Amino acid sequence: MSGYLEGILVLLAVNVVFAYGAFLPVAAGQLNLGLAGFAAIGAYASAYLSNTYAIDPILAILLGGIAAGAVALIVAVPVLRTRGIYLALATFAVGQIVQAALLNLEVVGGAAGYPVTAFIRLPTIAAFAAGVVVLVALLFATRFGIAVTAVHDDERVADLMGLNTRAFQVAAFTLGSVIAGIGGGLYAHHFSFIEAQYFNIGLSITIVLYVLLGGTQTVLGPLLGAAVFTLLPELLRGSANWRYVHFAAAVIILMALRPQGLLTAAQIRRLLGLDRAALSRERAA
Amino acid sequence: MTNPQPILRLDRITKRFGGMTAIDDLSFTVRRGSRTALIGPNGAGKTTVFNLVTGAVPVDAGQIFVDGRDLTQMPSRKRVRHGLARSFQNVRLMPHLTAIENVMVGQHCHNGGLFGVLQPVNLWPGNRWRAAARAALCESGLEQYAAATVKNLPYGVQKRLEVVRAMMAQPRLLLLDEPAAGLNSAETEALQVLLGRICSSSDVTLLVVEHDMHFVGALCDAVVVLDFGRKIAEGSPAEVRADPRVQEIYLGTTIAEPVERCHVARSA
Amino acid sequence: MLGQQFINGVMLGSVYAMVAVALTLSIGVLNFLNFSIPGLFMIAGMATWALIHAGVAWPLAILGALAITAAVSLVVERFTWRWLRGAEPFVPLVSSMAFLLLFEHLAIAWWGSEMRVLPSLFAGTDWRVAGFVIGVPQLVGLAVSIASIFGLSLLLKRTSMGRSLRTIAEDSDTALLLGVDVNRLVPVVFALAGLFAALAGVLFALNYRQVQPFMGEAVGLKGISAMIVGGMGSTWGAIAGGLVIGITEVLSVGYVGANFVDIAVFGLLLLILFVRPTGLFAGLPAGRGGI
Repeated sequence: MSGYLEGILVLLAVNVVFAYGAFLPVAAGQLNLGLAGFAAIGAYASAYLSNTYAIDPILAILLGGIAAGAVALIVAVPVLRTRGIYLALATFAVGQIVQAALLNLEVVGGAAGYPVTAFIRLPTIAAFAAGVVVLVALLFATRFGIAVTAVHDDERVADLMGLNTRAFQVAAFTLGSVIAGIGGGLYAHHFSFIEAQYFNIGLSITIVLYVLLGGTQTVLGPLLGAAVFTLLPELLRGSANWRYVHFAAAVIILMALRPQGLLTAAQIRRLLGLDRAALSRERAA
Repeated sequence: MTNPQPILRLDRITKRFGGMTAIDDLSFTVRRGSRTALIGPNGAGKTTVFNLVTGAVPVDAGQIFVDGRDLTQMPSRKRVRHGLARSFQNVRLMPHLTAIENVMVGQHCHNGGLFGVLQPVNLWPGNRWRAAARAALCESGLEQYAAATVKNLPYGVQKRLEVVRAMMAQPRLLLLDEPAAGLNSAETEALQVLLGRICSSSDVTLLVVEHDMHFVGALCDAVVVLDFGRKIAEGSPAEVRADPRVQEIYLGTTIAEPVERCHVARSA
Repeated sequence: MLGQQFINGVMLGSVYAMVAVALTLSIGVLNFLNFSIPGLFMIAGMATWALIHAGVAWPLAILGALAITAAVSLVVERFTWRWLRGAEPFVPLVSSMAFLLLFEHLAIAWWGSEMRVLPSLFAGTDWRVAGFVIGVPQLVGLAVSIASIFGLSLLLKRTSMGRSLRTIAEDSDTALLLGVDVNRLVPVVFALAGLFAALAGVLFALNYRQVQPFMGEAVGLKGISAMIVGGMGSTWGAIAGGLVIGITEVLSVGYVGANFVDIAVFGLLLLILFVRPTGLFAGLPAGRGGI
């Protein structure tokens, strides 16, 4: 496989992982604009572990995810007390603080960046990405998926039905951060060099955009969003700058035409013939 | 089983919103096993009573007992486990879930621990919680809609689904907020059949806010009348109908009202 | 030295205050965090440079930059607001972020990514008062920002349009019932927000004489900070917040590293969001409606 193709596929797999990190809180009705910060924690923690203690990178990446999740859990309890714009701004501030803190942390290179010795290739990264997709899909096939959607749709009613809405929001936020941290670890161990500047607000925004474009109502939405918007620019070629222009324009137009995203749950059910069967039976009755 | 204790007892409840007293020193009881209607003109505080009983808003004074237990200070989330469930004036199903998933939301209070949350209800068709939800839909004649997205379903079906969802919590007291509002006569009839079946097959007590007096007459065996947050009458439907105060403040205005509300509910 | 830095901080703070007013206007009236505003700030700055560079007289260049930016803000209104009714609540926010991305990269495509330097239009006009250097553009900038914010608050308090805007801020459903033409007024909000962002961009360009396509991000972050410190939805709070952030930044950069400043600023923001989400200066109970 050519290096170019491998590079793109690695980026695709990492973006898919990031997208699921953003998807979990969004599915519970929350926007995490600090996602890049949690990805950075995963990247730096796993790199530090594999550099310093020569831990197997796979284990280091998983531990990095747990580190990101632990920070998220500590932050989630006060942050998720806020709502709407306040929540978006609070998560945003968290991301900025993490980035600024890493820039000052000399043990991981500070502003100069941090080289990573251990190296993983596409198969490992693809396996991680596939694992994340399957695990999230399985999770959403359980009562957890129903509960999270219920909290998203109508928090009041969910509460009256006995759902601990805060616990589900904290769980979704924390799990999403674990996944983002794993994505950061994968990135660090393939590209061999990380710098805090990479994990900026722009990264958080781009990932959230993948999810909203793909559609937030189904577990396949983030996969589709990340795939289309990682691969499409490659097909279009052009300079990196024009790719951003195309991406941003596509986001704006798609959001205006189809604010629910490319893929919706109802659409999938229609594809599988479930809705139609119900309606035809209703007409027959 | 003859338990003399009332299923619901409100003891001198008061609730103020800003300067307005919505519920004013209100006390009444709901007899176990009854089908009690809560009626009164618009703004009498009927929905507020529901919101206070379920804990959606806190009371300013007084106590609420469900099945003899004081729930006044209990968070709303925990009350469902003490036998309380409700439906809403404007249907509040989860629009992004299918009908059967909505019904499964109602099971949450019995299946909410870590083990329950990880039940593969959408993965394994034979999962017992899914099977229970399907059976409930079957019994209510709604099985054909199981996999449909609820926002596309007819309003009458949505109203019945909400009742089925509430019943999945196995409540001892079911609060129905204007169940017949916005329904045409066929839909109202289907709802009556469903409620009749629920009452005969379980020992749930119904407390119903309703404007449609025919519906109340056909379903309920006791009536509490509110006006300006106070109780002005209670008794059997016949007694209440005969009460001059009720005739004065309520029955005189009720003829046109349900029709008007119907349009509001439809367009909402 | 300290006094001079204080003066510099006030000047910088007045730029932040204008950006914060633009942000707070759309949050106060529409409950919408409009991330395109840093982009609009940048467009105004770059357009000022481009027009002056093309030989346009500077007063015309300023007017042109203001007009262009306000017009672009109306385009943003269509895509982030008018056509997005009924979407997930954070879709407009996300769409406005895409606009920021779009503006930055279109600016690169158009003008290149390098730093552009404006000619010194007001050389030799600095005033020296008691040992402090005060630039005329700085002073004019401060005066303009205070005057324009004062004008905005008069507009909101005294005119019928202002009353309608405040009705929308209270409750857009009620506003509709009262016969307020929301569809006509929302573009006004966007145009005003665009104008304030543009004024800030023009003042920045003339004062600091350096513009580049990413100039909006740092200022936008500080504008958001200023808005939160002052209380979301409050115009006078935005001025106070802008000055606090500007002075803090200028004073602290001299003594501790810029990244520590970031940690302190955003840490303070988080604390305010948790403890006193209405901001330090706002006397009103909620961010919404307290224009």
